[in-house]
Amino acid sequence: MMSPRFDPSYALEFDLGRGQIRVANAAERVVVPSDALLALCQAANEEAVRDFGRRLGTEAGRALLGRLGDAGQASLEAVVEHLGGELALMGLGSLALERWGSALVLSLFHSPLGQAGDLLLGSVLEGAAQRAFGRDVVAAKLMRDGDQVRFLITSRMGADKAHGWLSSGVAWGEVLSRLVGSTRGVS
Amino acid sequence: MNPEVARLEELLARVRRNAALPRPARGVAPRAAQPAVSTPSPSPVAPIVAAPAPAAFSAPVVIPDPMPAPASVKPPAPAFNDTVDDLLADPFPASSAPQQAAPPEAAAPDAAFAETKEHISGVMPAAVAAEEPEELLEDDIVEMSPIAAAPVEAVVPAARSSLDELDFEDEESAQPTANEEEPPVSSSRSKVAGTMDEALAQAAAQMDEGREVPLKTPPPESGPQAAMPPMPAPAAPDMDELLEADILPVGANAGPTQEQLGQTIDLDDARGPRLELDHPQVALAEAAHEELEVSLPQREFGGGYQENLMPPPEARQDLDAHLQRVGDEAIAPPPESLAQLPSMQPGASASGMYAAQPTPAVTTESPTQAVSTVTVEAAANAEFAPELLARPELSPGPVAKFIRADAPRPSTFLELLDSSLALGRD
Repeated sequence: MMSPRFDPSYALEFDLGRGQIRVANAAERVVVPSDALLALCQAANEEAVRDFGRRLGTEAGRALLGRLGDAGQASLEAVVEHLGGELALMGLGSLALERWGSALVLSLFHSPLGQAGDLLLGSVLEGAAQRAFGRDVVAAKLMRDGDQVRFLITSRMGADKAHGWLSSGVAWGEVLSRLVGSTRGVS
Repeated sequence: MNPEVARLEELLARVRRNAALPRPARGVAPRAAQPAVSTPSPSPVAPIVAAPAPAAFSAPVVIPDPMPAPASVKPPAPAFNDTVDDLLADPFPASSAPQQAAPPEAAAPDAAFAETKEHISGVMPAAVAAEEPEELLEDDIVEMSPIAAAPVEAVVPAARSSLDELDFEDEESAQPTANEEEPPVSSSRSKVAGTMDEALAQAAAQMDEGREVPLKTPPPESGPQAAMPPMPAPAAPDMDELLEADILPVGANAGPTQEQLGQTIDLDDARGPRLELDHPQVALAEAAHEELEVSLPQREFGGGYQENLMPPPEARQDLDAHLQRVGDEAIAPPPESLAQLPSMQPGASASGMYAAQPTPAVTTESPTQAVSTVTVEAAANAEFAPELLARPELSPGPVAKFIRADAPRPSTFLELLDSSLALGRD
């Protein structure tokens, strides 16, 4: 099925008379400095940051469903295009998708929050996937290289294994290989 | 008649008869002097040669005359110590006859002679014996040749034998040789010839007589002798002869015997020396190509050529092309690659921005129309050495991981999401 292209035209509406900023078909938005938001996230606990991020992702997933309709039939490119577009409108960076065998890896580039905002970014992805596709997923951070960060979208169990190998010094590529290999052997 | 008287008379007659006969000179030595003879030769001639007893009274015995031949042949001095038998056998000894040849000094010992007459029995007193020379010089010892000893030998039997055994016939055949001046043959030194003609004549005479000219040691005054010519190096043995000589014939029994016919015969080991061919290989090699090949110039001629030898016309073009290629390879790479690093620039800032530097002057020289040579002038104010930055070492670990994508590409994002959620499940 051909999905419509992401069209950001008139996605933001600045009501200067009322002093409001609105996203199409969405609630009002607030434009805040990124460092102030980052400071707030650093001051909050991990769960609060996760909850804050999931809420941001749920808003993105809802917008995805509004653009795509049946997200379950959406292709990889369509999801990346529309989800990435929504995250870009939020100013969180550029979304990319990597498929390593049966493993789904989502990466973000040029995030203004930097390494300190990786937890927030992962929580946004988890909220979007849960809202758009109805799956409880865990975004496990694999690595960060400069302004690029990679998240493995998997289950809790898979995320725990990956964290265990990463903490023991196993390279992120090896972690993916082990996960895919173990799953293929089982199946 | 008493037989003894008759015998004495007969003896006296015989003495008178013998006295009437001419007698040669005799050199009979008294018996007492015989032990003093220094000639150890056991020949029968030796005991009668020397006359030491008269030496005590005659000077010639002690004088080392190089030519003692006349003295040695001269009859001895008066036999004052002769025994009775000697006197009876020869009452008129020849020794007294040639007294005219005695030197005047011979009369001096008359007194001593008178004193020694008491010892006519032959016993010489010790004092007299002590005066005898203890030893004789070599020149005084004369070996008598058969010719010279013949007359003396004729006397010896008379001195030894008794009166009955006297044989006067031998004495008759003897010839007096006392006055002969011919030197004995056995003289240690012969008379030196005065001239060369005499020497040649003597040598010819000796050769005619069949005598072997004795080898004489050259006198010391003969001067330096000519050096002996160097001994020639032994000639190289003929290999063919050696090989033929070393190979011993097997012999007549080389073949099997009658008992060995039809049986296995163990051959003996090869006899004779082991042959080793030690010919130098060089000689064979030289001989091999002596006729078939032409020797190339040796090493000392390597690299040499005639100066007036001109290269062929097409060689000039090849040489030019070669020089052009060498010239291109000799051009150094641009110095910007090493000395113009951004970090090396004096105006380089911490932010990585640096001021642009004027490019070095580049000139082009073209020796030919086809090839250009670029000469790059380095910056005059290049005070810094180039800094070489090496790539940091990589952390140990896999560089790449290839996962076989045998799984079909998921058509929807949801499939991929589900498969990814399935990771890590046991």
